[in-house]
Amino acid sequence: MYDVIIIGAGPAGLSAAATTANQGLEVLVVDEYMKAGGRLLGQLYEEPDGTYWNGIKESNHLYERANQSGAEIKLGTSILNIEKSGDVWLVYTEKDTYETSHLLLATGAAESPSPVPGWTLPGVMSVGAAQVMTNVHRVKPGKRGVIIGVNPLAAVIASELQMAGVEVTALTLPQMNGLNEEAAHPKQVMNQLLHVAHMAPSALIRQGSKWMKPSIMQDLGITFYPKSGFKMWGIPVHLRKAVTEILGDEKVAAVKLATVKPNGDVIEGTEEIITCDFVCIAGGLYPLTELAAVAGCPFYLVDELGGYVPLHNERMETALDGLYVAGNITGIEGAKVAIAQGVTAGLTMASNHGVQGLKDRIEQSIEEIEQTRDNAPFHFHPDVKKGKQIVQEKWEEMMAAEQPL
Amino acid sequence: MSERITDHPVLDPIERKKEVSFLFNGKSYKGYEGEPIAAALLANNIRTLRYHEESGSPRGIYCNIGHCFECRVTVNEKQGLRACLTPLKEGMEIQSSGMLPTPVKEWRETHV
Amino acid sequence: MKQQDFLVCRCEEVTYNELMETASRTGCTARELKLRTRAGMGYCGGRTCRPLVQQITQKLEKAPHTRVTLKYQPPVRPISFGDLGGGEE
Ligand SMILES: Cc1cc2nc3c(=O)[nH]c(=O)nc-3n(C[C@H](O)[C@H](O)[C@H](O)COP(=O)(O)OP(=O)(O)OC[C@H]3O[C@@H](n4cnc5c(N)ncnc54)[C@H](O)[C@@H]3O)c2cc1C
Ligand code: FES
Repeated sequence: MYDVIIIGAGPAGLSAAATTANQGLEVLVVDEYMKAGGRLLGQLYEEPDGTYWNGIKESNHLYERANQSGAEIKLGTSILNIEKSGDVWLVYTEKDTYETSHLLLATGAAESPSPVPGWTLPGVMSVGAAQVMTNVHRVKPGKRGVIIGVNPLAAVIASELQMAGVEVTALTLPQMNGLNEEAAHPKQVMNQLLHVAHMAPSALIRQGSKWMKPSIMQDLGITFYPKSGFKMWGIPVHLRKAVTEILGDEKVAAVKLATVKPNGDVIEGTEEIITCDFVCIAGGLYPLTELAAVAGCPFYLVDELGGYVPLHNERMETALDGLYVAGNITGIEGAKVAIAQGVTAGLTMASNHGVQGLKDRIEQSIEEIEQTRDNAPFHFHPDVKKGKQIVQEKWEEMMAAEQPL
Repeated sequence: MSERITDHPVLDPIERKKEVSFLFNGKSYKGYEGEPIAAALLANNIRTLRYHEESGSPRGIYCNIGHCFECRVTVNEKQGLRACLTPLKEGMEIQSSGMLPTPVKEWRETHV
Repeated sequence: MKQQDFLVCRCEEVTYNELMETASRTGCTARELKLRTRAGMGYCGGRTCRPLVQQITQKLEKAPHTRVTLKYQPPVRPISFGDLGGGEE
């Protein structure tokens, strides 16, 4: 029997582990990956001050801290199910069942797919898969790739691939297909890009962000948008071209690229073949909430947070007694916010376990989450703060409705 | 082993402790102990990890972090392991799963 | 240009046209659509295609943008055959 079990050794889980173990609680962290750090491991980008955010170093640092505080960390172990029995949470792996009074779900995010004909061919992978192969395992996903989907994550990973000597021939849209209206619509994609414009080392985008704020200008911008695209980190970005099909027999050999109208419709006869040996699908991220769902947490769909999120309060408590959440399971954001949320969850669990005098620190940690969010170099969803507000409101509504006694 | 990244401009080199040999569909390859099976295979230019059970369409890694189960292989007779999550060990016997319509073709590409 | 059909569910190889056709022919609910087509019910537990199937079913049901309890079946990872006996590595 542990005081605390944490599922997920990403930035949220590791920071929560160090926090609770430092308060004297007995803590077990379980993760199915072979290394600690979660999706932080693959991250590598230049901060506004010119230094690099090196995910491997940050992960090692968080791991060391959790380890030194006395938390037990078990890797390579999948959690299959969780269940409440009396006052105890049961946590099932293939071989063992663990018990705890406080259970933190820090399972992070998964990638949303953006299907394209041919996307099951070997050599087609999610953009995160390419990031992990390159930065974590140091094997090139291929020699020459095409990234389908133009969004912040795709742009960041394109630059990482290039840094590692992998050629990215193009970042381009998927053909509109009934399931991707926003991601395949040139104007909407351009609009999203403007939110991350300050990060892009591209004059066109940066200037564009100034004069393209009004919608009319965006219409003009996309109409006169250079058919040859523009370049970010030297990588061609196409908002007026879309992949209609991935080609290959036993594996990826090429993509078929067509010019599209400003509304995303393919212009017939414009197809060209671009050869490549790998293709990345960049469909965005959504919170990985399956364990909260099997436990029976109430959810709310919040697009600003990337999908369904388990309702929770500012102290990271869910509606189920002894069940907590932290990190990207509560909405898609960067690793620094996940770390800050882990601290709050850790303090809340310690406090609920009986550690006295944590009230002020919890309050302070909640403010720190907010500050970290405000200082983030970019947001996956520009309206993330609105999303957080919705969750807060829905939580309060639920509490009001469910406390008649 | 041309596909490995050995000198990254920003990241420190990763520890590649021990070179090990393993079998994939009966052929011998080399990789590094502790790296995921999927990474070792990709470094040997192998992308196809299994064939879809019904259609036989070839599949490789998709998510690379344990979510999609596209990379499942049989390791030392244990079925359904995710190649992207399973660390490589000396002497492992790894087998593709599903239908194997054209195993010779990929073998030829990597060997001839 | 006419859009080519494509797979939505990779595990069970269910295509977009199949899903849309089943949905409009039967007028079924989200749950039924999954049972009929098996989309999202394969080996990965729907982790890959869930957002897509959800999109289709939301359109169908003009799904409530409200509080829900999501339906997921444990185990959230398939149990490998070797481990059913609980033996050693
Ligand atoms: C592919 C990908 C790439 C990303 N790239 C970036 C980026 O470049 N920049 C950026 O700012 N953000 C990126 N993110 C967002 C990222 O989610 C956050 O930055 C941060 O890592 C979230 O931390 P976390 O602790 O909530 O979750 P994670 O870091 O995702 O950690 C969750 C951990 O839980 C484990 N887990 C999940 N389910 C189970 C289970 N059932 N059993 C056992 N273990 C389980 C996972 O193995 C994982 O290690 C990326 C996300 C993904 C999915
Ligand atoms: S590639 Fe998705 S589980 Fe291994």
